[in-house]
Amino acid sequence: MSTGVLGTEKRGIRELGAEEKVGWDEVTRGVVLNSFEGDASNVAHQKAEERQYADFNSYTATVASWRIIKPVYNRDICIDCQNCWVWCPDTSIISRDKQMLGIDYDHCKGCGVCVEVCPTNPKSLLMFSEAKEQEEALAEWPEKKKKEKK
Amino acid sequence: MAKEFELNEVEVWDGNYAASQALRQAQVDVVAAYPITPSTPIVEGYGSYVANGYIDGEFVMVESEHGAMSGCVGASAAGGRVATATSSQGFALMTEVLYQASGMRLPIVLTVVNRALASPLNVRGDHSDMYLGRDSGWIQLDAFNPQEAYDLTLCAFRIGEHLDVRLPVMVHQDGFTTSHKAQNVTPLKDDVAYKFVGDYVPVNDMLDFSRPVTHGAQTEEDWHFEHKARQHKALMDSRTVIDEVLSEFKSLTGREYNRVESYYMEDAEVAIVALGSSVETAALAAKQLREEEGIKAGVVAPRCFRPFPYDLIRETLDRPTLKAVCCMDKSAPGGAMGALFNEVSAAAYTTASRPMITNYIYGLGGRDFAVEEAKRIFKEQKAHADAGHITTPIQQFSGVRGPRLGFFETRRG
Amino acid sequence: MIEIRWHSRAGQGAVTGAKGLGTVVATTGKQVQAYALYGSAKRGAAMNAYNRIDDKPITNQATKMFPDYVFVIDPALAFTDDITKNDKPTTQYIITTHLPKEELIAQIPALQDKTDRVFVVDCMQISLDTIGRAIPNTPILGAFMKVSKMYELDFFLENMKKVLSKFPQKIIDANMAAITRAYNEVK
Repeated sequence: MSTGVLGTEKRGIRELGAEEKVGWDEVTRGVVLNSFEGDASNVAHQKAEERQYADFNSYTATVASWRIIKPVYNRDICIDCQNCWVWCPDTSIISRDKQMLGIDYDHCKGCGVCVEVCPTNPKSLLMFSEAKEQEEALAEWPEKKKKEKK
Repeated sequence: MAKEFELNEVEVWDGNYAASQALRQAQVDVVAAYPITPSTPIVEGYGSYVANGYIDGEFVMVESEHGAMSGCVGASAAGGRVATATSSQGFALMTEVLYQASGMRLPIVLTVVNRALASPLNVRGDHSDMYLGRDSGWIQLDAFNPQEAYDLTLCAFRIGEHLDVRLPVMVHQDGFTTSHKAQNVTPLKDDVAYKFVGDYVPVNDMLDFSRPVTHGAQTEEDWHFEHKARQHKALMDSRTVIDEVLSEFKSLTGREYNRVESYYMEDAEVAIVALGSSVETAALAAKQLREEEGIKAGVVAPRCFRPFPYDLIRETLDRPTLKAVCCMDKSAPGGAMGALFNEVSAAAYTTASRPMITNYIYGLGGRDFAVEEAKRIFKEQKAHADAGHITTPIQQFSGVRGPRLGFFETRRG
Repeated sequence: MIEIRWHSRAGQGAVTGAKGLGTVVATTGKQVQAYALYGSAKRGAAMNAYNRIDDKPITNQATKMFPDYVFVIDPALAFTDDITKNDKPTTQYIITTHLPKEELIAQIPALQDKTDRVFVVDCMQISLDTIGRAIPNTPILGAFMKVSKMYELDFFLENMKKVLSKFPQKIIDANMAAITRAYNEVK
């Protein structure tokens, strides 16, 4: 887990389902879950790292252990088109001011949609084994494919 | 600001109009409704009050009763005072969402005008729909006449919205027998009624943007049970609040309501336990039998059907003079004893006197329940009391044409 | 306790009539019930409406009653409905008909021994003449005031005006005329 823009203090700090199991007298009334601690009036204008996420917010849970293959991001090729950000079903593409920064590996489930929609040649996102180190993956990045002549 | 509605000290209102006036005086913010006979005039009334400036609220037209209760759930979660009305098939279609409303702890008020469930199709009153709601986690109050339909609807908002309760409340009245019967009703003035009900206090309202919340979260076996346990506890504990609100209503109006009503029970030897408009008819029969034949008859009526008043039923039935009790269920029990029989028996089982208890299924599809029929049933209980054992099948049908219909013989005596 | 049973057709205003009567009676401090059995009945179907009036709160919620008065506000129903159902030796009948009383009774076997308790008035003609439509509900109440001596005509007219206050003045005036005529013409 890293902190800062790419991973805040609260992001993914617990496995989904590993919360403390309180008794009937302590559960919330009506299964109501707070999203944030304190006054959240301004939350829409805050970046994730500024928000006071509540403990039950899914932001604080990680599902990373489900993943078998992961997308790796190559900054050198990316054109910041935001396609992956738009398409990611789990809001796991971290982007600031329309600049792609990286992947939220606490919530990414490894579906590969970001790779599919990436328009660059070679792709700026590629799927690798979960166990593969980032540097190793980048070293294996393929060359630009030449257009085949008819 | 809503206009004041001119009311006479005494009005002649039917149960539907009385309930609609209570919704107006409570200044309900949202009614989402799909009108159905015989409860139509309640939401029709609300719509007309909105259109004519007597309520600052909104009538939401939906495509079904499922949609109606769903709209109510949304509006209530958003933070408004919410009510609607339904009957019978509409109630049945609402059922799925009734459980959502109670599980989400939304204090919606549903005025139910009791009507039979098809098939056969029938618009008249019995308690099939009321019984269908009995496990839904709602508080269920039962009005026996139009005045009570008005009074209890006002009380329902106070009870359901109480911060210790926060549960939805149904106010039942009998289709046609109460909903379409005009009687003297003494309403409260608008400001007095509203003051009694009070301003709505939102809890976890979705329109509070400073505190975003998730409503209707999914749980599996790891959380569901605890939430249902807490909900059940709230429903059971609501008895105290119901008592308090009814007592406060009495000091305001002089009209007394109890979670269990009883009539002539002090020295009763035989009793009828019933719900709805039949209670008043049975009480009249008990009074006449006492005067005419010296039969010590009494009537017990759960005013609050849910949470079921085991405590007060037991208290009321636990008297040495009481020998035979007949529980009258106005709903086809579908292969069992009637619900009232089962629950009253459970309450009476732990009494010292343990009266004999029998079950009558009666009044289905609006079949009239007359004083003479109540008297006949009292006399049959008297025969059980004199014989020292139950002399008929334990469950019987009353008022049905054809050969006598009954099930299960007693092993006592 | 006074009990009244109305024999009517859906659409003839029996429910409105019963509620109107109840409302007027309630202003004098009495307890009332006004109800009807119709439900899914179509316009023109035979139906019953009911009133109960008492000094004490009314707790009998049953439909069944032993009427003190029977109002038949549709002429044909006197022949086809069971108008003497649950009657008492004192039950009085107010029947809408264009026939003379003797001629009507002669055709209805159930009324043979009740001659002195049958009253006739042509509410249909009266309502057609005054209101312009066959709405016999208010005229029957005029006849009822005469037969029962429950209230003075003027008192009843004043209170019925309040009951009808949501209608245009023309309609109210026509109803007052209808009630007055029936009061004077019932025999």
